Amino acid sequence: MERAKLFFEDVKVGATVTPLVKRPSTVQLFRFSAITWNSHRIHYDKPYAQSEGYPDVLVQSHLHGSFLAQAVMDWAGPSARLVGFRWQNRAIACPGDVLTCSGTVVKTEMGDGCGYVECELEERNQRNELCAPGWARVALALRIERSK
Amino acid sequence: MAVSFETVYQQIRALVGQTRTIPIGQLSRRDLERFAVAVDDPNPLFFDDAFAREHGYPGAIAPPLYLSSVLGWEAGPPERSLRSDGTPDNDAMAVPIRGLRVMGGGQELEFHRPVTAGMDVVMEFSVSNAELKHGRTGPLLVVQLKKRFLTADGTPIVTCRENFIAR
Repeated sequence: MERAKLFFEDVKVGATVTPLVKRPSTVQLFRFSAITWNSHRIHYDKPYAQSEGYPDVLVQSHLHGSFLAQAVMDWAGPSARLVGFRWQNRAIACPGDVLTCSGTVVKTEMGDGCGYVECELEERNQRNELCAPGWARVALALRIERSK
Repeated sequence: MAVSFETVYQQIRALVGQTRTIPIGQLSRRDLERFAVAVDDPNPLFFDDAFAREHGYPGAIAPPLYLSSVLGWEAGPPERSLRSDGTPDNDAMAVPIRGLRVMGGGQELEFHRPVTAGMDVVMEFSVSNAELKHGRTGPLLVVQLKKRFLTADGTPIVTCRENFIAR
């Protein structure tokens, strides 16, 4: 995967965060529950999940968030620093869903020795339903070193 | 199960403002990498020390949501004491919501410094708010948690505000 360096000067309001497509599977949900010590049965026990009214086991709240964080870090590149991040869970997702994480730059501002970029993010399923809106604030290197 | 929302609400309200300090201990390299593997995020910052150093880090870092996504840092309660939905109700991060359907609502995170393997981490956990609301499908509780992750000597690492919904 290309991990190009993104400089602050190259990012304008309205620029797009490169979309990332995720296809969660039941195995992925199981392993995510294991590493996060999440024993909530809605994530691995389909009959139980159905007893709560869901069609299948559910993608974890934090996995939705992790997908959005992956999208923004892939786009910003390894020299960027994620300084702030948030997401909200709005709609459920199940194994087999195709989740596309994308975003738009909504603000840029000069900082002290770096520049800050804020992005509105969203994760949508294959029916274009919004599963998780999000937001990130990223510090980017300046192309030109400026003296203070 | 008949649950009095009012009772649960009052029990959670009673916790607001109390902080529990939970020692996490030294972060395991393998756990940080497993989290990235489970997310299917192959970013070399999470696996490759030399690559991470080239980009200004002291070594490979944790994925940003690692600390705030782990739901238990202890060995955990025995299975027989779990709630019927599989969640614990007597570990350090438990909130008294037995009998309700629970769902994560999202987080707001501030990252103060990179998280690397071997760091000795402490979490301060508290319930910061609880609201009883009436939605389209009946009553629901919106509970806000605050999780502050610090180094053992008190330097902030990550601050997390998290919402969950109980119905």
